[in-house]
Amino acid sequence: MISIKINNKQIQVEEGTSVLKAAKSLGVEIPAMCWHEELDHFTSCMVCMVKDTQSGDLFPSCSVLAEEGMQVATMDEEVQEARKTALELLLSEHVGDCEAPCQIACPAHMDIPKMNRLIAEGKMQESLEVVMQDIALPSVLGRICPAPCEGACRRKSIDEPVSICLLKRFVGDEQAGNFYKNLALAPLNNKKVAIIGSGPAGLAAAFYLQIRGYQCSVYEKGTVAGGLLNSEKLDAKLPKEVLKKEIGNILSIGVTLHLNSEVNTQQFEKLRKGNDAIIIATGNGGEQLQEWGLKTTPKGIEISKSTYEASVPGVFAIGNALRPSRLAVRSVGQGKEAAFAVDQYLNNKKVVGEPRLFNSKFGKLVADEFAEYLKESNTDKRYSPLKGVEGGFGKEEAIKEAARCLHCNCRRLDNCKLRDLSDEYQANQRRFSFGERKTARKMVNHNLVVYEPGKCIKCGICVRLTEKHKERFGFTFIGRGFDVEIGVPFNQELKEGLTETAKLVVEGCPTGALAMK
Amino acid sequence: MVDYQVIDTIIQEKGKVKKSLIPILQSIQDKYNYLPEEALKRVEEATEISASEIIGVASFYSQFRLQPVGEHMVKVCVGTACHVKGAMLVYDALKRELNLEEGQETDTSGKYTLEKVSCLGCCTLAPVVQIDQITYGHVTPNQAGQLFSDFETQKNTKSKKQARKTDGTTIKGEIRIGLGSCCLASGSSEIKEAVEEVVNQNELHVSLKHVGCVGMCHQVPLVEIVPTNEEATLYSKVKPEDVKDIINNHFESSNFLARIKNKFFNTIESIQSDRRWDGIERYELHVREKHVSSFLGKQIPIATEHRGVINPLDVEEYQQKGGWIALKKVLSKYTPEKVIDEIKESGIRGRGGGGFHSGTKWEIVAGQNEKVKYLICNGDEGDPGAFMDRMLLESYPYRVIEGMIIAAFAIGATEGYFYIRAEYPLAVQRIVDALKISREKGYLGQNICGSNFNFDIKVAEGAGAFVCGEETALIESIQGNRGFPRLRPPYPAVKGLWGKPTLVNNTETFAQVSFIFRNGAKRFNAIGTENSKGTKVFALAGKIARGGLIEVPMGITINQVVEEIGGGIANGRKFKAVQIGGPSGGCIPASLGDTPIDFESLKELGAMMGSGGLVVLDDTDCMVDIARFFLSFTQNESCGKCTFCRVGTRRMLDILNNLCEGKGKKGDLEELEKLAGWTKKGSLCGLGSTSPNPVLSSLRFFREEYEAHINGKCPTGKCTELIKYSINDKCIGCTICAQQCPVDAIAFNPHEKHEINLELCIKCDTCKQVCPEDAVQVD
Repeated sequence: MISIKINNKQIQVEEGTSVLKAAKSLGVEIPAMCWHEELDHFTSCMVCMVKDTQSGDLFPSCSVLAEEGMQVATMDEEVQEARKTALELLLSEHVGDCEAPCQIACPAHMDIPKMNRLIAEGKMQESLEVVMQDIALPSVLGRICPAPCEGACRRKSIDEPVSICLLKRFVGDEQAGNFYKNLALAPLNNKKVAIIGSGPAGLAAAFYLQIRGYQCSVYEKGTVAGGLLNSEKLDAKLPKEVLKKEIGNILSIGVTLHLNSEVNTQQFEKLRKGNDAIIIATGNGGEQLQEWGLKTTPKGIEISKSTYEASVPGVFAIGNALRPSRLAVRSVGQGKEAAFAVDQYLNNKKVVGEPRLFNSKFGKLVADEFAEYLKESNTDKRYSPLKGVEGGFGKEEAIKEAARCLHCNCRRLDNCKLRDLSDEYQANQRRFSFGERKTARKMVNHNLVVYEPGKCIKCGICVRLTEKHKERFGFTFIGRGFDVEIGVPFNQELKEGLTETAKLVVEGCPTGALAMK
Repeated sequence: MVDYQVIDTIIQEKGKVKKSLIPILQSIQDKYNYLPEEALKRVEEATEISASEIIGVASFYSQFRLQPVGEHMVKVCVGTACHVKGAMLVYDALKRELNLEEGQETDTSGKYTLEKVSCLGCCTLAPVVQIDQITYGHVTPNQAGQLFSDFETQKNTKSKKQARKTDGTTIKGEIRIGLGSCCLASGSSEIKEAVEEVVNQNELHVSLKHVGCVGMCHQVPLVEIVPTNEEATLYSKVKPEDVKDIINNHFESSNFLARIKNKFFNTIESIQSDRRWDGIERYELHVREKHVSSFLGKQIPIATEHRGVINPLDVEEYQQKGGWIALKKVLSKYTPEKVIDEIKESGIRGRGGGGFHSGTKWEIVAGQNEKVKYLICNGDEGDPGAFMDRMLLESYPYRVIEGMIIAAFAIGATEGYFYIRAEYPLAVQRIVDALKISREKGYLGQNICGSNFNFDIKVAEGAGAFVCGEETALIESIQGNRGFPRLRPPYPAVKGLWGKPTLVNNTETFAQVSFIFRNGAKRFNAIGTENSKGTKVFALAGKIARGGLIEVPMGITINQVVEEIGGGIANGRKFKAVQIGGPSGGCIPASLGDTPIDFESLKELGAMMGSGGLVVLDDTDCMVDIARFFLSFTQNESCGKCTFCRVGTRRMLDILNNLCEGKGKKGDLEELEKLAGWTKKGSLCGLGSTSPNPVLSSLRFFREEYEAHINGKCPTGKCTELIKYSINDKCIGCTICAQQCPVDAIAFNPHEKHEINLELCIKCDTCKQVCPEDAVQVD
């Protein structure tokens, strides 16, 4: 046995144990990307670097074996900076998005590519379930949203953006009944939330809190719910019955609506006492905000970003109460995000709002990349609904239009070490972006796997796995240095390279370079 | 079409296992000039080597081509010496001449393939271009057209093995006239005039070169005649009336000149350039370059003992000159322990760069309790400005072999390998022949010299990868893999080739072993400094009056090498810096010229002994450009495994490119320094961890030059994006520039002051070079 010190804790390990494993047995996790349980170490990514505190040298802990008397620091400042720099270097050549540009552009951060894919597969109810995770009013927004997402859509560089807004409306209109019928609500948890204002922000907040088990009461000073959605300006686009129906759906899950109920200072205090949290979604103005003890900015209520907490504990504020905006989708999104914060607050968790992870972005598509990105898509031009824009898409149209989506988002958003670590170490992808970027490519000729070389970190896990499992072609390193790439030898198709090992290499790949279809 | 029988024969000859892969690929390329995919598929079918291994290896080593090439290969040397003399401008001119698009290598007619090569080893002819087997020296960008037309007239003639000027004349040699202050005082300017007169009268095709003080001030004035392919002769105390006879003796008649004043010095060694990428016959041996050292007094030949005298393959002569004495002594009188003690006492440290104590290394291998042990001579010299290993292998094969056998005896090795770059075909051939002769003479094989000791040596050829100079990558390469270095420990001394204890030493180290046993460790350790014993061989090149190969005692100062041995800076420029150690080394400024050359002193200054390249820079050299040059080299040669080396060096290069192109911005230098620091710390092997040295050392000593680039200025006018050409009032309207301008940026207006159209100007420097009046200026 060998005894070493890791972060000043003594530990005994067997001879031949790597420092990484020794740390693990002590409960200290060291990040590693190129390391694979089944394979010998290869020492490539350098993210697993730790410091020998006696010499001050950094070394890769996945490969270096524990030696008697060794003293190792796994998390000091220099180690962290080294890891961050390694990640930033890897990100500087990472040609791939985590979340798609449309999702990042969407003020409600809706998972648009997933919605598109499900529609293209004809899975309409599942598709609406995806929409409803971020947007509580799909039928309404499907008619009035200016669709910033379509402005960011990569398909726009090739021809025209995917008709995202109309697709959302299609599933919203068609599937709302099914959705609400099958909606599983959390049992009521005996906590109450009062929401002041029934505009898009208030309605969204009510929806997302009610399904989490909070009893929500919405207080509306006017005679109908919907706030600015009732504005005459929208009449042409938004039929009143659509609005009514969608509000009705939200109320159907147990939200109580109090019309003609303007909240004054006295009532505000009463609501505070009678509820566990309050969300202010009163729209523009509201003279009594200061009387309620809330700090304000020249434009509205002051909140802490991303948690929507106002200066009074237990009070949250969203929508136009923060600052005037004509973007209903933003208000809807804030309603959803505030629900996260309220939920965290009422469960005595750290209030952080909706969790957001690191996102890799590689900029605009260039002409050479169009064909690559079209490989998985319907190449037809954008469809205009036969029934006209007011009529919206029919099912067949929706399926074809949704299939135009380029699938920009990564298939391994939730299962990518590069993303997780970049998030953890707050890596800045732009730090080393002074050279030309590589060209994005997609290899799809395999029934199970998609390979995107631009997302590869050249750790060689796949090469070594295909070799170990005796693929005839497998993967190999092609070239060397900065230009090295992983590919199938003799320019064989992906399906020739991975006859038996597809699942294995996808599981082994630390990034989104290899993913299941 | 690929003939499967040919491939099968190759496989039969080379073997079916992985270690045969590189030799198989080399043979296929010999045959087809590239590696046809069909041939590789056949290899996959007919051997136990996998497709992944074949493509992985074929695409790793730069010797191998996966695409067919043109009829003729045009190689532009972009080694360090050629780089500082404008090789890139020549490359660009040839590219224009062949109408090559970006990324295109072969012209549309399929006749010429243009490529850059790291070093052709004829640094004194820089810049150098080679078309097939014809070498052109001192090429200027405006000669691109001439170059091809001369090649067309020459390609079918027999007399190919000489250096040519692009105007079609043979470079017959060089006349060097000392113009140091003592020489001038003694009347060398009259000598200079006399020489010029004779040369002009006889229309001799020779280069005239004025050299600085060569240090032999008691012998002035000095004239040195260096005919191509012949011995150099130095004449001292020359009088103007002697000049004609001296010159005629060398360049016209073959009579021995009776009135020679003083035949001072003989040839040092023929350096032969023999880069033979494809192994095709076209690349046979050619340029013979004579290296001349003015000052034997400062040099101590140990590895290069008997230079210029000994016939490389004459084993009898080697013996007469003291060869094999050390081996016989060791085998008959020494125990392995005693051999190691002697090596330790000599203080010799590895000549490959790192400077690890050889005795310690030998002791570790000797101490391994394994039956099978290996020994490798590392001759994978990859520095773009160095060729000492080649010279040693070619000229003193027996000396290196003798050193290896002694080492093998000491460590108990059973088998040895020479790992030699395939770009050194002559060295490979010499070694193969020398091994054969040694075997016949009983120096290799069973019962060496009548002892009980058995040992033999094989040759493995590298295939074009600088990183394979790193010992673990070298071992991978011999085993038939991509040259990926691996983590040490375990060191090869414990676990090396095929997992067995392996001693890897540099060629030069082995070349010095026999001296130690012949003369005793004390003789060796009396030379040099306290911690750096013995001598070191350097390839001296760049802006020096006399470039060449030198062997100097450790501890000699940079100034002594530059001024006394190198004859100072050429063309009256100012000494700015030396780059020592190539891509792993650093730049030491002239102000630190008193620095002794030893392991520790160089390291302290951020340089290192490294490969032994010693490139002298003058005040026209841009330090940012030099840093960029070396970094782009290491960037190209990175194996691509570790993040910091693969991506980090590229990002550093991006910053340097931006600086040189006028796109530098505030904060760039700090980021460059940070990145250099991380690359040093976060790389697995020596290539990666030393790659920032040229950047860090030049930043340390020439930071103001970097800052000037951020402000959009290149103080030396080297960075083309930051300069503009103009014509001043010295212009006499001769139109030479207008005629030579490749893009017609200068209007043809005789007798008028010319003007450069800056929108058309491509900054190829041609006008400046051809102007007889020095009227073209760079701002």
